[in-house]
Amino acid sequence: MNRPTRRLAAAVLIGFALLGLMTTWVQVVAADTYRLDPRNARFNLTQIGKERGLIVSADGVVLAQSDPDPATTGSFIRSYPTGPVFANVVGYSSLLFGEQGLERAYSDDLRSRRDLTISDLLSVILGRDLRPLNLQLTLTDSLQRIAFEALGGQAGSVVALDPTTGAILAMVSTPSYDPNLLVGVDAAAHWQTLLADPSRPLADRATRELYPPGSTFKTVVSAAAFETGLANPESTFPDEASFQLPGSTATVDNAGGTNCSNGVTTSLLNAFVRSCNATFARLAIAVGAEPIGQVAEGLGFNQELPFTWTVAESAFLTDELSADLAALGQSGIGERDVRATPLQMALVAGAVANQGVVMSPYLVGRTFDADGAEVDTSELAIFGTAFTPETAALLTQMMERVVTEGTGRQAAVPGVRVAGKTGTATGVEGRPHAWFIGFAPVEKPTIAVAVFVEAGGSAGESASGGAVAAPIASQVISGWLNR
Amino acid sequence: MTRTAESGMLVAAAGVAAFGVTLVILAGGQTIDSRIGLTFAVMVAAFGTVHMAIRRWAPSASTVILPPAALLTAISLAEIHRLDPVRAGLQQWWLLIAASMTVALLFFLHRRGTATIRRYRYLYLLTGLILLLLPLLPSTGPLPVRGLEVNGSRLWLVVDLGITEIRFQPGEIVKLLMVLFLAGYLAERQSALAERPRQLGPFKFPEPRQLFPVVAVWAVSLVVLVVQRDLGASVLLFGAFIGMIYTATGRPTYLLIGAVLTASAGYGAYRLFDHVERRFLAWIQPFQNFEDAGYQVAQAWFGMGTGSLAGSGIGLGRPDLIPNAATDFIYAAVAEELGFAGSLAILAGFALLIGVGFGIALRCRDRFRKLTAAGLTWVLGLQAFLIIGGVLRLVPLTGITLPFMSYGGSSLVGNFLLLGLLARISHEEPA
Repeated sequence: MNRPTRRLAAAVLIGFALLGLMTTWVQVVAADTYRLDPRNARFNLTQIGKERGLIVSADGVVLAQSDPDPATTGSFIRSYPTGPVFANVVGYSSLLFGEQGLERAYSDDLRSRRDLTISDLLSVILGRDLRPLNLQLTLTDSLQRIAFEALGGQAGSVVALDPTTGAILAMVSTPSYDPNLLVGVDAAAHWQTLLADPSRPLADRATRELYPPGSTFKTVVSAAAFETGLANPESTFPDEASFQLPGSTATVDNAGGTNCSNGVTTSLLNAFVRSCNATFARLAIAVGAEPIGQVAEGLGFNQELPFTWTVAESAFLTDELSADLAALGQSGIGERDVRATPLQMALVAGAVANQGVVMSPYLVGRTFDADGAEVDTSELAIFGTAFTPETAALLTQMMERVVTEGTGRQAAVPGVRVAGKTGTATGVEGRPHAWFIGFAPVEKPTIAVAVFVEAGGSAGESASGGAVAAPIASQVISGWLNR
Repeated sequence: MTRTAESGMLVAAAGVAAFGVTLVILAGGQTIDSRIGLTFAVMVAAFGTVHMAIRRWAPSASTVILPPAALLTAISLAEIHRLDPVRAGLQQWWLLIAASMTVALLFFLHRRGTATIRRYRYLYLLTGLILLLLPLLPSTGPLPVRGLEVNGSRLWLVVDLGITEIRFQPGEIVKLLMVLFLAGYLAERQSALAERPRQLGPFKFPEPRQLFPVVAVWAVSLVVLVVQRDLGASVLLFGAFIGMIYTATGRPTYLLIGAVLTASAGYGAYRLFDHVERRFLAWIQPFQNFEDAGYQVAQAWFGMGTGSLAGSGIGLGRPDLIPNAATDFIYAAVAEELGFAGSLAILAGFALLIGVGFGIALRCRDRFRKLTAAGLTWVLGLQAFLIIGGVLRLVPLTGITLPFMSYGGSSLVGNFLLLGLLARISHEEPA
């Protein structure tokens, strides 16, 4: 009887070995799959009432903090003193709705390490600091407020960055929401109201929404023309009010249906300054989809930009446009197969300001511990080179003329040389999107900005980039230079 | 290991339980109170008296039986305390009751020896069958003993004592009675069952009348499954039988027959009963059925994954999110809070206990004692494997208790008696 007994024993012990293997799978090999499953509420539940780190602006204003809960000792309530002004950047950390924005991207740094686990006890013994880390942003409260107020209740976005570093100085998305509502009582009701709001306040128009960039895209088409050597600002083109698209009955018309110059020829410079669509439809077809696509991709189109969170991918559909010249003509004025985020268009302005070099955009300047000691500083990263310094110089020359005598005159700031480009793109039900991208001061740029006003803002059907977006850019630039 | 070393390990296990309860209290932000000392005292009292009884009435017994069981009990007391302090208090009473009954068993066997047990084998069969059917008594009525249906399974017995009522799952005791009956029966019929005079094609079979008990136990298991809807007890009962008949005869044919009968009964139950079908879904696709049948298993896996290597720390995880964490899913609860390290400790504890049990069986010269020791160990191992395997999705969930760990008096009493029997056998057949 000993042989079957041994076999039975072996069978049970093999069974237990299998249990050990299975446990290894669940708890070691694939543990993260189950730990991080969105239906696993454990992690969020452990974070209730825990202290989280501060988020402060570059000029020292507190944007997010944990206040002691008056009802429960040792417990904290998250609050956002600047409310809607920084909502799209800072986000929220809510028990019911998870995390968003920097609260989500930097959650590991911001959360308290006091979990009372054995490894925490060890850390205490070893003298490690378990208090949460704090973030200092590159954004300044003063500029953010200027941009927020300049948009003045219109839906849209302003992105301002330092073209030489990629540091974001202001990033506004409107309409916004008050993140305090999502962490307090009645959070669920507020959440439902926000979700149901047709103006979509929870949408981040700066980085996660795509719009046709309109005539601001003419900077990219011009850059491609200069890079290929096909044209320079003095090159002349037939002056026409309307351009007949090849192989199509459609035309591309100048705004107002007027000629661009004397009715015979126009220089590229003049067409750029007055934003003549017919000329740029013709130019885009002459340059070809490939070179334009190459410059666009150098600027960040058609790929996921390196950023704090996943941003919408701006697009220039090179392959489709190579085969469809009519569509290429329409895309040459930033319509049809071109889509961009305001962040992407700020990078376009930044590249011109920075001699063709695109810096990777970033929001957090440094992280520091509870004693104020620096833990980590953001390292500057070059995203890529979109075009040569010569091309950048030619573009700067043309863009400055836009502000001094062209469509972007309202972006001017007294005593400062401002360069820019307006855009008026197909919007919603006849109300065009208004755009302006630009930078200043021309001789040594410290700010590049993209302004986007959705569906014309309060100007509605009569809106244009020059009338609606350019004045906002002027306020932001002057606010930054006179800080 | 000396007897003194054994007592030291039992005290250490009591210390583990008391330390665990201390951590639970601290993690809950409560102040330290008498519960810590009480837990320690109950552990020492329960295992100490059994230990003393072994010293006195079975001095040659193996010293490695009690310590692993004490460790498993200690971990579970702390975890049950964390999940439900009220139940932890009740569990401590049951622990004392189980220990006293084991002491009584050892005293009884000290006078007569296990050989006398063999004589009453048919009495065990009868008692076992009656106990199995008792939960079918009407749940209302004048009788002081009533049946009770919980979660779709009718496996509870309520004994009304006037002042209070005691709930009991007879299945845990039936398990022991069946092993004792089968050991007696098989020790007698071993050779007849091993012979295979009949031939059908390439297969050889024993005389059909020798196969009668196989079919009979299968039928009883089916009754348990169909009438009481108790998948766990049914599988355990039949599994115990097949394992023992294989041990007695050494014929793998019985394993094959057992597998075929289990599979067909399982398929039938799957088609017939909703609650078996739900368990099947929970086994195969718990995450796709998270909102419904798969919730319990999925939560257990979330907990175990979150626990990872070191665990959340006892009292700091959320095993309360797992339904029935203190009973069927105690393994997942410990795995979440004590981590992979804790899970391995439990598996190692069971493996040690099972290894020792089979070791005792192998040493036995007497056929009855050998079959009893092997049968008891097999049942213990099978039960632990089925429920932990159910939690880990190696096998479908059967809803039985994890010996020494799940909250529940019947289970604790049954498994303590099992230890007592093993200890007595190892005393009678010393190494």
